[in-house]
Amino acid sequence: MIDVYRALFVGQIQAASQYRVQSVLWMLFSVIRPVIFLAAWVAVANAQGGRVASYDVRDFAAYYVALSLVSNLATSWNAYDFEFEVRMGRLSPKLLRPLHPIHYAVVENIVWKMTTIIPLLIVLGFVAVTFDARFRATPVHLVLFVPSVILGGSLAFLGGWVIATSAFWTTRVHAVSTLWDRAVFIFAGQIAPLALLPGALQTIALVLPFGYMLGVPAEILQGAVDVPTAMLLIAVQAIWVAIFYALLQVVWRVGVRQYTGVGA
Amino acid sequence: MGEPIIDVRDLRKTFRVTERQEGLAATLRSFVRRQRRDVNAVAGITFRIEAGEVVGFLGPNGAGKTTTLKVLSGLLYPTAGEAHVLGFVPWRRENAYLQQMTLLMGNRTQLVWDIPAADSFRVLQEIYGVPDESFRRTVGELTELLELQDLVHKPVRNLSLGERMKVEFAAGLIQSPRVAFLDEPTIGLDVSMQSRIRRFVAEYNRRTGATILLTSHYMDDVVALCRRVIVIHHGHLLYDGPLADLAERMAPYKIITATLRDGAAATIDLAAYGTVTGRDEGRVTLKVDRQGAPERAARLVNELGENLADISVEDPPIEEVIDRVFSEERVGTAT
Amino acid sequence: MRYLRLLALFFRTELQYELEYRTNLALEIVQIVVIITTSVGAVLILFNYTTVLNGWDLGAMLVLLGCFYLVQGFGELVLQPSFEKFMEHVRLGTLDFALLKPASAQFLVTLRNFQVVQLGQMGLGAVVAIVGLGRISTLGPGEAVAFAVALVCGFVLIYALLLALSTFAFWFVRIDNLMAIYWSFLDAGRFPVDIYPGWLRVTLSTAVPVGVAVTLPAQAISGRLDLFGLAVLVVGSIAAFILSSLFWRVGLRSYTGASA
Repeated sequence: MIDVYRALFVGQIQAASQYRVQSVLWMLFSVIRPVIFLAAWVAVANAQGGRVASYDVRDFAAYYVALSLVSNLATSWNAYDFEFEVRMGRLSPKLLRPLHPIHYAVVENIVWKMTTIIPLLIVLGFVAVTFDARFRATPVHLVLFVPSVILGGSLAFLGGWVIATSAFWTTRVHAVSTLWDRAVFIFAGQIAPLALLPGALQTIALVLPFGYMLGVPAEILQGAVDVPTAMLLIAVQAIWVAIFYALLQVVWRVGVRQYTGVGA
Repeated sequence: MGEPIIDVRDLRKTFRVTERQEGLAATLRSFVRRQRRDVNAVAGITFRIEAGEVVGFLGPNGAGKTTTLKVLSGLLYPTAGEAHVLGFVPWRRENAYLQQMTLLMGNRTQLVWDIPAADSFRVLQEIYGVPDESFRRTVGELTELLELQDLVHKPVRNLSLGERMKVEFAAGLIQSPRVAFLDEPTIGLDVSMQSRIRRFVAEYNRRTGATILLTSHYMDDVVALCRRVIVIHHGHLLYDGPLADLAERMAPYKIITATLRDGAAATIDLAAYGTVTGRDEGRVTLKVDRQGAPERAARLVNELGENLADISVEDPPIEEVIDRVFSEERVGTAT
Repeated sequence: MRYLRLLALFFRTELQYELEYRTNLALEIVQIVVIITTSVGAVLILFNYTTVLNGWDLGAMLVLLGCFYLVQGFGELVLQPSFEKFMEHVRLGTLDFALLKPASAQFLVTLRNFQVVQLGQMGLGAVVAIVGLGRISTLGPGEAVAFAVALVCGFVLIYALLLALSTFAFWFVRIDNLMAIYWSFLDAGRFPVDIYPGWLRVTLSTAVPVGVAVTLPAQAISGRLDLFGLAVLVVGSIAAFILSSLFWRVGLRSYTGASA
């Protein structure tokens, strides 16, 4: 398995080097939206004498910088690719190979993240300075951030694949993934840090998986939650990852049967 | 004869191409200092075409055919020289000119993929400002000539390549142009569809008197449609005249086909009469010098006598002539 | 006049086509509704903590968000599909056909394709703006006219910007990335342009005037745009239109080899 991954990595790195400019550009776009909401919250905080609940202006800056970093590390675009492959009948050859297609996506994502991480850190550093971000994270937070962002990324990745497998049943994956994206928009901490979501929304957000993809790792990196809470959140993340892993297994098996059954 | 419909004088078109090596370093280097090279796509050609003619425009890939057609249709500015079509300077792209011409490209489509051609026709009618009355008449005629009845109401993507080309032709002729430039109109089509398109072009020319300049890789198109051909190569004009005379001018040899009686083929050596280019059972083809052809044929008849079953003297096939011109074997080397 | 008739014809053709795919149409509308309601939700969450945001109260913010979807909807209704098609034409060489028509090539290319369903986005944007307006209730005939003028100017600005950007296709052919930059910057228009820090505000109001295109109509309808501001907007939009058209012509000349 390690050899397989090594081979896949080499191939992907070569492919990625041809799209360097493109990947950096896409990375930059993904930073624009968090900055938009950061600016909005800064405006709100300023109207309220510099603070909204437990967040002051510099906390917001730290939160959205952390969120940008997590979004970049944790998000993947496989749903779109996968739908395209199913629609164009390009999946069949991949199914014939002795390797589950998900491994290609895993490697592709990791390589993409490796190629964009340095320019991303530069851009985020710039944003952090502009907005005067203040991180409250202790070294323990930083240590906890590592498993948290990996779990968040795995969760987002598995969730994306579950959505992507809907391509086995419908040609309208785009509509499905729009709904998914909007749920992420509301509940994952893009609109606001989870702590600032009003009453019912916050409860829903804590029950749904979305917040555990992006918001939770971001809050840990920012240092907004204390260490015991952080560990609890990480445990919940792990549970969600297990659930989605099992879900994907089932959905994938049924889906492939459906797909090959149609004779595509 | 009045004014020529197409009048081209010493037309030149030079492209400046940037040469760039692969790789990031080379890209950056070329960003600072570009490697440029001039390519003479059309290197000074002159010709005139009268009203109603169907002229074949021949040349290998890269000879400058498409560039010339693009200049004449107004898509490209020439580097030097003059051209008038219907009295207009094409590259000024005056509406009055565009209204009266069309350019059809066999490998490109102007039809919208997802909607039926009939809808595209309506849009073209509006763009060209064709009155309803004549629009209906034109579409009716084209539908009849090209047998489009069932095709125009299907989304274009559901049509076969040949069907699409027929519809493409109709779309290009909605405005009833007086001049039509056809660039490889039969490319990629099967033989029967090619001949359908050919028949259509001939019939259209006969009915409307439109002047047609066409390029094609298929000599059959040219033989069927054009009495006159213009041959260009490397941007230079090599020949302009009747198709019938092309062989005489461009190929200084003729082909003698002699069929020998059974058994004789093995014993008689025909190399003495000319260059043997083919041998199939008793049939032998010989390439002989054009001037000497009658004399060689006579000698063959005399000397072989009984052993000769049949003999013919012909111009080489037109493809071969063209091929020969383009491979630049110079005149006079054949025996 | 002739161009208006053509525009109507382009629109009708596209409408017919989209109506054939009802499920798609319905799903697209569902998506638009979901996207806009969640965006309104985002604004409501912000205003859960404040009553005013840089001088914009909730009503004014909803008007702004409505204007944002009006402008973005306009972009996706005709500009995005047309400009995408334009780039494809350059790539495939089918742009030639548009150049051979006895009509303005710029018109035939840049206003040619429609995504009729995006009218839904504009309609819903208008609803959001009207709801917001109901909370301010200062709409006199003067504001209505100023709003209409400013909105049209916003459309023109967006058009001019896209035209200028897409002109690069004549030289570089593949400019998808450039266009993508534009669409992500447009997203910033959902908030008043003055909440952004210096460098971003300058970018949004000059280089990529999406902020202006959205913010000024919203200010006009809520009576916060004076006549001078409106005049500047009108003059600026006309200038942007003329300049970008000239630039397009330069690109076209290079495409046809007039200046090579």
